[in-house]
Amino acid sequence: MNIIHITLGILLGGAILTYFANKISGVVRDLMFISTIVVAAALFFIKMTPDTVAVFNLGGITLSLGMNHLGLLFSIIILGLAVLAGFYSLPYMKGKDNLGFFYMNYLLSIFGMMGIVMSKDLVSFFIFWEIMTWSSYLIVVYNGNKANKIGIKYILFSALGAYSMLMAIVMVYSQLHSFSIADLSAGFTTMPASYQITIALLLITGFAVKAAMMPLHVWAPDAYSNAPMSYTAMFSGALSKMGVYGLVIVFVTMVSHLPQNFWVRETIAWLGAITAGMATIYAIFQDDAKKLLAYSSVAQLGYIITGVAIGTEISMIAALMLSIVHGMFKANFFMVVGAVERQAGTTDLTVLTGLIRKMPWTFFSALMSAIALAGIPPLVGYVGKWMLYESLISNGNYILVIVIFFASTAGFLYVFKILYSIFLGQEEPEFENVKEAPALMVIPMVIIALLLGFFGAFPGYLLKYIDNALVVMGYPVSQGKWWEMTTLFNAWGNKVSTDLIMYTTITVFVTIAIVLFYRWKNGRYVSTKDISLSGEMPKEDENYSFKLDFYKPFERAISPLLRYKISKYYNEFADGMEAFFDWTRRIYNGNAQTYAIYVITFLVILLLIANNIFTV
Amino acid sequence: MDFLIKTLGAIATIIVAFIVGMLYMGINRKITARVQNRVGPPVWQNYIDALKLVSKKTSVHHGVMQHLAPAFLMISSMGTLLFIPILRGQSWFPNLSYHGDLIFILYFMVLGSLGMALGAGQTGNPNAAIGITRGLSQMVGFEIPWVMALVAMMIQYHTTSISDLMAIQQQHGWLMFQNPLAFLAAILAMLGMFRYSPFDIVGAPAELASGPISEFGGKYLGLMMSSGSIFAFTKLTLYVDLFMGGASNIVVLLIETFTLYLIPMLYGLVSPRYRTEQAIRYFWGWPTVLGLAALVYSVVI
Repeated sequence: MNIIHITLGILLGGAILTYFANKISGVVRDLMFISTIVVAAALFFIKMTPDTVAVFNLGGITLSLGMNHLGLLFSIIILGLAVLAGFYSLPYMKGKDNLGFFYMNYLLSIFGMMGIVMSKDLVSFFIFWEIMTWSSYLIVVYNGNKANKIGIKYILFSALGAYSMLMAIVMVYSQLHSFSIADLSAGFTTMPASYQITIALLLITGFAVKAAMMPLHVWAPDAYSNAPMSYTAMFSGALSKMGVYGLVIVFVTMVSHLPQNFWVRETIAWLGAITAGMATIYAIFQDDAKKLLAYSSVAQLGYIITGVAIGTEISMIAALMLSIVHGMFKANFFMVVGAVERQAGTTDLTVLTGLIRKMPWTFFSALMSAIALAGIPPLVGYVGKWMLYESLISNGNYILVIVIFFASTAGFLYVFKILYSIFLGQEEPEFENVKEAPALMVIPMVIIALLLGFFGAFPGYLLKYIDNALVVMGYPVSQGKWWEMTTLFNAWGNKVSTDLIMYTTITVFVTIAIVLFYRWKNGRYVSTKDISLSGEMPKEDENYSFKLDFYKPFERAISPLLRYKISKYYNEFADGMEAFFDWTRRIYNGNAQTYAIYVITFLVILLLIANNIFTV
Repeated sequence: MDFLIKTLGAIATIIVAFIVGMLYMGINRKITARVQNRVGPPVWQNYIDALKLVSKKTSVHHGVMQHLAPAFLMISSMGTLLFIPILRGQSWFPNLSYHGDLIFILYFMVLGSLGMALGAGQTGNPNAAIGITRGLSQMVGFEIPWVMALVAMMIQYHTTSISDLMAIQQQHGWLMFQNPLAFLAAILAMLGMFRYSPFDIVGAPAELASGPISEFGGKYLGLMMSSGSIFAFTKLTLYVDLFMGGASNIVVLLIETFTLYLIPMLYGLVSPRYRTEQAIRYFWGWPTVLGLAALVYSVVI
């Protein structure tokens, strides 16, 4: 009985108890839910030491679990977000139906994720993977509206991933007669070459589904936007990182030993970059805040996949850094949209307008997340991006860096769109009575926003954990070579001092702000309707905010690119299959006489063949 | 003591940038007027304008983002200025030029535009928002050839630091001759960066009534003008550092920056305005081809 048993036990037990607590009362259920997360996280971070191992016996199957620094890094993302999103969840989900079921699945998916990062053998990995998939599926369909089709898409792609993973596991066992991941990485080189490449590709497929890599990303935008926002914060922030976790292991322990190593890496890196580019473009044209963020998540994971696939020291650091930071700012962004949805009743960007004075703290966290998302210094978002660029340039992927740069610059467009459409523009009487979200929702958001600033000046606090994780994976120690507490280095020894950047920014900003605030009291606030518009004054019921066709000129400029939409091909494939099954229905038309004819025909054919066979 | 000298150096740098930038704007107004057969305002008119605007009291505002927009804008202009070397040899104004590299500067230059965009958005003026969407779209356009040119130089000399590139040019000659394709791509991208005609689609006086800045008056406008001129000087100095090996003294710096400044200015004087999609496609046409060629050139060489 050690901390691994305890953490998993608390999460699993808490999930079941929360479900039954719902029968007693809502307050008990909420308390049960939040205390499960907080106690599990607190115990985990206090007690957990790397190299703890645990063994479960499940009726003849032995599941061995253990913790290392890589798992620890990902558990920080999972449990950290779980605590914040958990508190956020309480007011956000208040008053909705079937909450016992929702919270049970919420806890189960955390249980699944923690199990994944602790698994030491492929069987337990697969079991926890499926627990995570199914619990998240049940939450995706929780909202009900159109959920069926979206859920089917999600579970179909997840099943594809799971089957390829299962196939790879079977192949591994057939070769090595062991399910252990350690045996796999040790014995991988002894396998036949054809097995090596097949296993690696199958596993990459399995993980790429969760990490939403093109062309397996189709489920993601709908699933992210359809789940309740308090879960999507986890879904996009932590659950998608499980795909990254798997990819890191596959690339380090398997792909690097392949003879076709270079081509696999380049292909996946390019797929990641194209994912980033295309998803960014689609994010720009979304008119729903949730959809926009969902596409943006797909795009951000594209960068991460590229970093993992390239696999040099600095690109690995970049990918893991981006994973953590994406977990923070994207979770925060989804929480912001959830808060807006709860307070203003919609997430339609063409309807929302001018909420900044109503929800200032929400705006503050949205702004910080936006700056981090765009990768603009001095917030922490740029640390990972900077490293990714440096790694691609020094590694010789010159065209790739241009594609990523395009995606990243185009990212400013949707960042501005979501901030402007929700919070800025002319105020609308419809939203006059909107209030700031409850404190339990605002505090987690502001905590993340402040952390984004803090780590921007001192990225070393995060890089330390990443360094430990990469040392476990067999990389050399990176501190001093690639980074110090407040300095980043590239392959050619050029550096960026993060703390000086932060101080310079703050100094300039504060100086000018003092100039601006000098005699500020003399100024008075005038409404956003009181503007110079060629002498015209908008009436009370008129709103001149610019909302529709926001980036029309940009759309016109890139229209040739927009023709390619991968989901079109999937839909055509689905239509084709449907037509095929329709056709088979003509054979199985449910008429007993037709079936009788089939039986007779079959017998006749059989007789003819049999005669042929036996007489000759 | 060291800290004090550095702070004074930084302030001196900013003052120089302000004076030079404003002077260039004034000369621009004069030349534009002469081309259009007008007399035009005196060259020092911009100093008078800025002084008058900044000394005004703020009487109305549209909220805190709008109020702080000039502060965000100044982060880009002043902040970036502090991170690039002004003169070669680093005896004058070293500032923070060893503490940030090119890729960092590329991103740092954007922060101000984002803050400004949000400030303009809060005013509720539809023209402001339209102008910003145009500006951001155009930025996606010109950043592609610009980044290609920069990456070409980085891989040619294996460094991302501006000071290193300047030192290299001391030995090998100006980069505008070492990698002329990159220089051409960068110069074409610069046309978009300066937002003179035909790329003045953000302000677009005719249809957008000066766009994002339309609700900013008085102190706000004064600070924005100052920021604009500092930023112009910053960008010109960056180009001089990258392609002309930096300047050894302030006179050479003025000559070189002014020569570069003439390019977007004179090109603008004879061009009508593009539509946004035309502007984007312009940058994704020949400038990008040149950028790609520069990349190939620096890989091959």
